[in-house]
Amino acid sequence: MDFGMSGDDLEQMYQEVILEASRNPHGRERFAPDLASEQSAQAGESVVRASHEYCAAGESHQFNPTCGDEATIHAEVSDGGDGRPHTIERLVWDGHGCSISQASLSIMVDLVEGKTVDEAMRLAGLFHQLMDSRGAGLSDESAEEDLGDAVVFQGVSKYPMRIKCALLGWEGMKASVAEALARMQ
Amino acid sequence: MEGKGMVDFDAIRAEFPILDQSVYGHPLVYLDSAATAQKPQCVIDAEADFYRHDNAAVHRGAHELAARSTVAFERARASMARLVGACADEGGEEIVVTGGATAGLNLLATAFGNASLGRGGSAAARFALHPGDEIVVSKAEHHSVLLPFQELAARTGATLKWLDLDEEGRIRSDMADEVITERTRVVAVTHVANVTGAITNLAPIVRRAHAVGALVVLDACQSVPHLKVDVHALDVDFAVWSAHKMYGPTGVGFLYGRRELLEALPPANFGGSMVELAWMDRPAQYMAPPAKFEAGTQPVAQVVAAGAAAEWMMAIGMDAIATHEHEVAAELLKLGDVDGVSILGPCENRDRIGTVAFDVDGVHPHDVGQFIDAQGIAIRVGHHCAQPVHRHFGVYASNRASSGVYNSVADAQALVEAVSKVRAFFRV
Repeated sequence: MDFGMSGDDLEQMYQEVILEASRNPHGRERFAPDLASEQSAQAGESVVRASHEYCAAGESHQFNPTCGDEATIHAEVSDGGDGRPHTIERLVWDGHGCSISQASLSIMVDLVEGKTVDEAMRLAGLFHQLMDSRGAGLSDESAEEDLGDAVVFQGVSKYPMRIKCALLGWEGMKASVAEALARMQ
Repeated sequence: MEGKGMVDFDAIRAEFPILDQSVYGHPLVYLDSAATAQKPQCVIDAEADFYRHDNAAVHRGAHELAARSTVAFERARASMARLVGACADEGGEEIVVTGGATAGLNLLATAFGNASLGRGGSAAARFALHPGDEIVVSKAEHHSVLLPFQELAARTGATLKWLDLDEEGRIRSDMADEVITERTRVVAVTHVANVTGAITNLAPIVRRAHAVGALVVLDACQSVPHLKVDVHALDVDFAVWSAHKMYGPTGVGFLYGRRELLEALPPANFGGSMVELAWMDRPAQYMAPPAKFEAGTQPVAQVVAAGAAAEWMMAIGMDAIATHEHEVAAELLKLGDVDGVSILGPCENRDRIGTVAFDVDGVHPHDVGQFIDAQGIAIRVGHHCAQPVHRHFGVYASNRASSGVYNSVADAQALVEAVSKVRAFFRV
């Protein structure tokens, strides 16, 4: 196919990994109100409940006003009562959006579920750096390795209008984990 | 109606310097005029020339430049009045300068709110809203119409009601008699919907509103740039539109009000240039309209350039513009023939303009827009500041192509061809 000069950029942005992840995203469950429905309740009104007694749950509703993308991210964090570090025991989300936001949520779930909170926040920081790289990627190869499949979003970082799509899920993860931790206090 | 052959639309396109560029190696195709229109050289020049030769504060000062800029400012107001069929006579002005259509709607809602508090005395009682009164809008409204009147209802205790949409997304004018009641004081409705491109059948709404003594506020943002609009013939009480969607500058818009209403309506913004007598211990005496509504320094250069845009449109002829864009609309509507593409709005090229919103099955609008952009074609994606109409169609967002006077049938064909490749690219 001929997409002119931008064809390569477009192919680089929409890598197969992204298209595949957006079609069958991981961690997506139905629990938040459907805002495309006229009967919908208020955004972010789902009941926040942890599935394990040793966990606290947090939820964050993220919204991208330019395109209407939104996601509610639900995180459950272990309370550290056994002397082990706080860990993200469960991470699910509900929402809708473009292939970039959906794929980013999916790949993020694969990457941070089961990780300690500290590790998840470190990965979020690396992903943020990748998104700020204007297409250049990270200079640190081991950091890129740590990001796993999430490095496929390097092509997205060239497009300022789309960076927010890729970051939507990560912002929600950080906020929901912070809320879960705050509930333990 | 003027014959199409009389106007050379290729030459008109050439008057827009911004269109002479490539995007990602493709000649730019701009199909986002419903968001904002591009500017012809004469409008760009009018603004620059004003600053180069005439700039001064209007309606004050006695020097030569002050006189020239005042004349230019008032001449632009008169041009705008002629464009929409309002009164341009000195002392009978019906056009108020605003910061844009949104500012105009907020001005009205604030002024109605002030009247509800008793400001403006008995003459303004006709604008007052009380608990139990009703404000009627439609489900097709831009947030700029919905929210100021929703807030006004909340402030005054009035009830907000709305006209529903039919399957095509057209405003159900046939519901006017049912929804607009004896308690209705204000009906705020769009002339042309910014998502569906549908032209509202206004007559039954205006007739019913006036029969029950309600005022009609028209959002003319999407009609003034594309159609011949005559506010007196439409018999609306107020109308608002923005200059930047009609080939003029940003930051300025206009409010039409029937003269007697503008005289009775209390002001919404207060400050310099709108008051005749100000005292420390007595109520101020405000100026006659339009000055009463134009507190503070106005965007003079932009108003002058907007006037140039109005003159430029009238020189082409609004009928010729409408006929030309009707042909572009016919081509845009072929989007509906593309596999997996559905149009949100009327599919038939009747009582609509060249604003065509569409959904590509299985591909989010943001992705569609990115793909289309890579072909050098600019369209809008998202909810277009009209979430309720999207909910009506059961979607979160859509893609929207919208024509301007500079678009050709070939532009529309380029879009249809690009859209036909979207689903294959995204493997759906």
